Amino acid sequence: MPKHDTPLLDELEKGPWPSFVTDLKRQAATKPECWDILGQVELSYKDRITHWKHGGIVGVFGYGGGIVGRYSDVPKEFPGVAHFHTVRVNQPSGLYYSTENLRGICNLWQKYGSGMTNMHGSTGDMVLLGTTTPNLEPLFYELTHDLKQDLGGSGSNLRTPSCCLGKSRCEWACYDTQALCHFLTNKYQDELHRPAFPYKFKFKMSGCPNDCVAAQARSDFAVIGNWRDDIRIDQAAVKAYVKGDYPSNGGAHAGRDWGKFDIQKEVIALCPTGCMWMEGDVLKIDNSNCTHCMHCINVMPRALRPGKEQGATICVGAKAPILDGAQFATMIIPFMKVDAENEYEEVVEQIEKIWDWWMEVGKNRERVGETIQRVGLPTFLKVMEVEPIPQHVREPRSNPYVFWESDEVEGGFERDIREFRKRHAQ
Amino acid sequence: MALSKDELKAALLAKATKAPKPQLYIKDFYECDPDAKPREIKNIANEMVREGTLMFWSSGSTTMYALPSRIKNEETREAAEDNK
Repeated sequence: MPKHDTPLLDELEKGPWPSFVTDLKRQAATKPECWDILGQVELSYKDRITHWKHGGIVGVFGYGGGIVGRYSDVPKEFPGVAHFHTVRVNQPSGLYYSTENLRGICNLWQKYGSGMTNMHGSTGDMVLLGTTTPNLEPLFYELTHDLKQDLGGSGSNLRTPSCCLGKSRCEWACYDTQALCHFLTNKYQDELHRPAFPYKFKFKMSGCPNDCVAAQARSDFAVIGNWRDDIRIDQAAVKAYVKGDYPSNGGAHAGRDWGKFDIQKEVIALCPTGCMWMEGDVLKIDNSNCTHCMHCINVMPRALRPGKEQGATICVGAKAPILDGAQFATMIIPFMKVDAENEYEEVVEQIEKIWDWWMEVGKNRERVGETIQRVGLPTFLKVMEVEPIPQHVREPRSNPYVFWESDEVEGGFERDIREFRKRHAQ
Repeated sequence: MALSKDELKAALLAKATKAPKPQLYIKDFYECDPDAKPREIKNIANEMVREGTLMFWSSGSTTMYALPSRIKNEETREAAEDNK
C-alpha cells in the first residue's frame, strides 16, 4: 500500500526502460523508508527544487571522507529520510568482485542502510545510499573487519583511485593498471581519508590509449598506457584480414553484413595523421607520425599490436563542468616507465610535484586543471620541470612555448628606452 | 616551519576560534605560519582532529575544518528547534 501518491514519478515507469521508481517500490516492501524517498522526490518534481540538504559533520572516527551527510529539508513530512547519508565504498581494482562479496555488501547495507545502492558512482566507488548517523560506526566496523573493504574518498581528499582491468584480461595493456591502482591506494591512505587539498583530486589508470576508464576526461592525474617504439605488425595476419579470413574489430560488429572488409576505407583512410599506406599487399606505418589513436589496432587486433617498449603517458587536469565547462586533461609527459620494481618512483615523483605546487598555489575549491588554466601551461611545465614540446601548444601564437629568461639574453632585458627610441622612432 | 609544533597548534586553534565563519578551508590555516609547508599544516590540522580539538565538516564535495564548539550537528539543531 503506497504511503504517498506519486503521479509524476509513476510516469517514469511507463517506458520500456528500467525504472528506479519501480525498484524503489519493490524495495519499500522490506524498507518502508523507501516510500518517503518516493514522496520527497515527488515533492521535488512538483516544487522543481531539491529537498536534500548536503553537508555536515557525519563521518566515522579518524576519517574525513567516505561519508556524505544528507538530510531532508522536509523531515516532518518524510521522517524515513530525515537523515539519509551516503556511504562510498572503495571498489576493488578493475571492478573484480566475487558474488560472495557482493552478497556481503548487500546484506550489510540491508542491515544498516536503506538497501539502495548505486553501482558505481562516477569516481568508481560502490555507493550505498541512505543511512542514519548511529549506524555509521557499526557499518564501518563490519565493512572493514568482515568484508575487508574500506571507505572511498570524498570532500577535498584524494578520491578513490580507479583503473581498467588492465593486464588481467586485456592484451593491449601497456602496464599493470591494477597493481599501480593498488599501490597508490595504499601509499596515499592519509590523502584518501583526510582532506589535504584545495579541492578533490582524482587518479585514473588506463592500460592503453583506448582509455576505457576515461581517465583523460575525468581525472586530475591520468596514467594512460602507451608505447614509444613501433606498432608490431604481423603481415600474414594483415593479408588474412584483407582476404576476409578474420573478422574486423574482433567480430564486435558481426551482427549484420557490412560487406567485404576494405582496409583502405576502414583503416588507412581513417588514420588521423595519414601515416599508413599499402605497398602491394604489405601494410606500412610511419611510426614517427602515429598519434597512437588505437583505431588500426582496434580494427585488426590479430595483425597489429602496441610496441614492445611500454610505459605510460601522463595527462593532468581533467574535470567535469562545475566551473568554466568540462575540460580534458592536458598531456604533460608523453612517455614514462611505470615500474613496480622501483615502487613506481617516476609516477610518485610527478604526483607529489603537482600536489606540493597545487596545495600552495591552488585557490579554495579550484581543481588542478583550473589552476593550470589560471596560471598558464608554461608556468605549470616549469613546475613539473618538463621541457616544452610542440604537442603542448594548442594553437600557434596563443600558447608560446619558447621562452627566454633575462640571463639567457645578452645584456638581459634591461635597456635604456630613450636610447632605443632614438634608433626606433615611433 | 618557523613555529614549533605546539605553537602551530595554538595558532590554528586561535584561528579556528576567531575566524568569522565557523568552517575553514585548509588554506585558511596557511597564514598561521607562512614558513611552514602546506603539507605540514595539513598534518598538524589532522592531528588536532584526531585529538578532538578540531573537527571535519564536509559538504560532500569539499571538506573543511571547524572548532567543535562552533558547529552544531544537524540532529542537535533539529532537536533544539523541536524544543522551541
